[in-house]
Amino acid sequence: MNFLKRFCRNRGAVLGLVILLAVVVFALLAPTLFPQSPWRPVGRPFLAPFTIERFPLGTDTLGRNLAAGLVHGARVSLMIGVVSTLVALLIGVPLGAIAGYAGGFVDDALMRFTEFFQTIPSFALAIVLVAILQPQLGSIVLAIGVVSWPPIARLVRGEVLSLRTREYVQAAVTIGQSTPRIIFSQVLPNTIAPIIVMGSLMIGSAILLESSLSFLGLGDPNLMSWGYMVGAGRTRLLDAWWISFFPGLAIFLTVLALNLAGEGLNDALNPRLARGRE
Amino acid sequence: MTSTIRRRLARTTAICALGLAALGFAPLSVSAQAPKTGGTVHVVVQPEPPMLMQGLNQNGPTNMVAGNIYESLLRYDEKLQPQPSLAKSWEISPDAKVYTFKLQEGVKWHDGKPFTADDVVFSLDKFHREVHPRWRPVVSAQVEKIEKVDDLTVRITLKQPFGPMITTQEVASAPMIPKHIYDGTDYRANPANNTPIGTGPFKLKEWKKGAYIHLVKNEDYWAKGKPALDEIYWQIIPDAAARAVAYETGKVDVLTGGSVDVYDVQRLAKLPNSCMTTKGWEMFAPHAWLTVNIAKGGPLANKQFRQGLMYAIDREFGKDVVWDGLGKLPTGPISSKTKFYSADVPKYTYDVAKAKELIKASGYKGEPLKILALPYGEVWSRWAESIKQNFADAGVNVSIETTDVPGWTQKASNGDFDLTFNFLYQLGDPAIGVARNYISTNIVKGNPFGNQGAYVNPEVDKLFADAAVAPNDAARQELYTKVQQVLAEDLPVLWLLEMEFPTIYRCNIKNLVTTAIGVNDGFRDATKD
Amino acid sequence: MNLLQFLSGRLAKGVLTLLAIAVLNFFLIRAAPGDPAQVLAGEAGAADAVLLEQLRERFGLNEPLLTQLWIYLKGYMTLDLGFSYRQQQPVLALVLDRLPATLLLTGAAFLISLVLGTAMGALAARRAGKWSDSLITALALIFYATPLFWVALMSQIVFALKLGIVPNVGYETIGANYTGLARALDIGRHLVLPALTLGLFFTALYARMMRASMLEVAGADFVKTARAKGVSPPRVWRRHVARNAILPVVTLAGLQAGQLVGGAVLTETVFAWPGIGRLMFDALVQRDYSVLLGVFFVSSAMVVGFNILTDLIYRIADPRIEAGA
Repeated sequence: MNFLKRFCRNRGAVLGLVILLAVVVFALLAPTLFPQSPWRPVGRPFLAPFTIERFPLGTDTLGRNLAAGLVHGARVSLMIGVVSTLVALLIGVPLGAIAGYAGGFVDDALMRFTEFFQTIPSFALAIVLVAILQPQLGSIVLAIGVVSWPPIARLVRGEVLSLRTREYVQAAVTIGQSTPRIIFSQVLPNTIAPIIVMGSLMIGSAILLESSLSFLGLGDPNLMSWGYMVGAGRTRLLDAWWISFFPGLAIFLTVLALNLAGEGLNDALNPRLARGRE
Repeated sequence: MTSTIRRRLARTTAICALGLAALGFAPLSVSAQAPKTGGTVHVVVQPEPPMLMQGLNQNGPTNMVAGNIYESLLRYDEKLQPQPSLAKSWEISPDAKVYTFKLQEGVKWHDGKPFTADDVVFSLDKFHREVHPRWRPVVSAQVEKIEKVDDLTVRITLKQPFGPMITTQEVASAPMIPKHIYDGTDYRANPANNTPIGTGPFKLKEWKKGAYIHLVKNEDYWAKGKPALDEIYWQIIPDAAARAVAYETGKVDVLTGGSVDVYDVQRLAKLPNSCMTTKGWEMFAPHAWLTVNIAKGGPLANKQFRQGLMYAIDREFGKDVVWDGLGKLPTGPISSKTKFYSADVPKYTYDVAKAKELIKASGYKGEPLKILALPYGEVWSRWAESIKQNFADAGVNVSIETTDVPGWTQKASNGDFDLTFNFLYQLGDPAIGVARNYISTNIVKGNPFGNQGAYVNPEVDKLFADAAVAPNDAARQELYTKVQQVLAEDLPVLWLLEMEFPTIYRCNIKNLVTTAIGVNDGFRDATKD
Repeated sequence: MNLLQFLSGRLAKGVLTLLAIAVLNFFLIRAAPGDPAQVLAGEAGAADAVLLEQLRERFGLNEPLLTQLWIYLKGYMTLDLGFSYRQQQPVLALVLDRLPATLLLTGAAFLISLVLGTAMGALAARRAGKWSDSLITALALIFYATPLFWVALMSQIVFALKLGIVPNVGYETIGANYTGLARALDIGRHLVLPALTLGLFFTALYARMMRASMLEVAGADFVKTARAKGVSPPRVWRRHVARNAILPVVTLAGLQAGQLVGGAVLTETVFAWPGIGRLMFDALVQRDYSVLLGVFFVSSAMVVGFNILTDLIYRIADPRIEAGA
């Protein structure tokens, strides 16, 4: 059974993919759909949703168009999710690969280093990092990346450990290929599948983490992310629920979609596990 | 108001106060019905104060709680007129250089020791001279000597007449500190800092960190029949939305100024048995503005550019939408609630076309500018966002910079900003709370509340200096009017709002806000039906 | 290797990790803008050079940085976590004062999530592919994907304000002076919302972990062997699958138990819960260095402690580990 077929058999995964594609399309079309800055007050504050055609999702405390914010926010939130996951991968994959392949003392040292980062409460560390570097896109992405890489390193190490003893790797060693070349051409490509799965899940948690940071006032003030919108509207849940509800729903749906798609990917890439479903 | 009338008024008040005090009444609590006694009140305090020793810390929350534990010589009514507190009466010599304070009789510290003139001299001449950032400049520049005349009389002799002197004795600015506990010790290391001993109507019973501060009635309080309440619990609830729910569910009875989101104010005030007042902030008269960092040069140093920015800001929107109608638009450096305010100054209304014109004429070429936002919660963020949009509309290339409180303090203190939000208390008199932001001698690093934009104008320096020591109020008014005109033309800072922080409370709590500092010393007279 | 050797080895490693964390934290927090003296003076609305100097001297900030580090580490050797001049109290006292509230909250959340999560996961795995599996999986995803603070605020509005069943904030009814059982019940009522809020997220994690792990084990050879030998299906699930599938869950529990302390920052803020998560956040925004470092130290020590505990449980639950260790 090929990959696509297996993926499509999982209805949840397909649903996730569809939601995800919709979010991406909205994000890409943001400047066309809402050419005006989402920060500009354009109507009366606190307009309820579904009452005025111009503001389908209502307006916020300053009279800004929530629909515009939501669509522009998709870009920011997705970007933060993807970029900080990339940062985490950039740290975690090489560390895990080296540790797993080298073994011995190097493995021990690197794993102690990883453990060290897992020992510090991660959310607290993220808060401190953003506070030190000041809340702006770069520091937020960095902080999320820095607290999210250890599981990736562990995953990659585990995979590499088991791959190292395979015949084709041994063969490469025998014919005298250099270690980096072996790692990059023989070992890592075979770990791609679990990394992709984990990465897709991590994008979701990165979006959640950014929204928590925003809630504590540690978001980038020049970027309208969903986390920012939820945080900004949170004190108005009672009389203007829509201000934080729609961005909250957007976060929820996106994280959900990423998880569904991620799990679908996992099942599709890992047929042995999928069999357990029978 | 002419100087003679003002002087006479001050005299009358003093004499009047003497008479009332002799009868055992404090003039601030005129209540028709017999005062109820007993009861417990739950109040929100936010954030949690670092300590309650008011001589060593003057944080907003510290003052709110500790102002009911400590007392000073005077209290102030909402017109900022002095009222007796620990001083039963006072006399100002005709040359306005000698202030004589007569103390209340039979006042005891919370530990039972008597309160005397020795404590007053210790507090003003020694303790606060060493540690209090507000009293220190006054005492070193203006005061010749502070001496005990007898056990219940203290005399302060000034180097020259200093009009604001009578306004300096508010409880946070000059609380009375027990000499027998602090004299000869290392003040900041004194273990008694955790168990504050004042003369006030309430005593500290327990402080459960992170949860509440429990004050109980001082049974030996010197004013007979006061306080009426038995207990006050100051509850610490960090989230603004949760505070609103706590009030709505009856967990707390008083929401102090600024403790809930502005949009919640009207809604909560309309609940059954819920009252609201904007009074009780006259002493502070918080004035909000954008400080322009003139020292950075470039467009910011250009008066035309600053005027353009002022026209670009929709200040009405800030007041009506961002602050939900709370407050008043300021005309210049002095709040309309503070003495010597004048409306006779150049005015700026929202006018994008004019803003663009002025900004263009100033030679601005799109240099990027940053607004440093104040990290005080959602409303301040919204304000920064809306003003950023205003500036962008007028063609200014601007972005927002955020940080946390320490980050802001550091940046604002060291001039590390282009434009920054700030809001300051006026403390009753322009010589104390206003001059500090505009005089060139106060361009100092390390203090976020000085002249941080480094505005230099010798004329302004001289006007403020002369006004502080001018012989009478008429002379002072003339000088202050002039300085307001000069500053409104020069715009060293862009004034945004005379802020209002409404107190929301259950209507059966009476006489809570009766002075110029509201709940900060309000529980002395408060009753609960 | 016997248990004692194993333990002492792990403890030594743990102490080294903690030392490294202490040093890292020390430099991290110093890199943040502002210092405690500036904050304290700034909050007073009237800072001047004299006051700042007095405060800096008092806070020990005028010493060279390395001297400060040395003093700090020396104190930690004797479990003296320093003194908070802002709050005029020893850090250890401040932390210990707040720790019980956090332990109660995170402990409750931990139990809720562990019990509920593993039960949900196990059930879903047994019914893999059926509608109850889909329902549980969906529920877990919902718990996982909803921002925690949003759940916290919504639950306050619904359960405290609209329905009025439980209080919205705080640890106990202030001023009620309950004692004994009445007090325990009162605290329990206050605990409901924060513990559930904090527990939901981890419930989701455990449910997913348990389900995946059980399905993996179910396909393993020894289970097939058991089935082939004719062991009854419920017995296979209980004795063979569930028992082995729990191991990764134990690992997760060890990790999460420590993380719960850090993760409690948001919950404690929204619910005004007087625990160390809030103490940490307040200390951060006030640059109360000694308190911040103290909280980090204590929570890291808890993670290390839980990791050692996990390893112990592993050794006991799965004898195979011993050979490999």
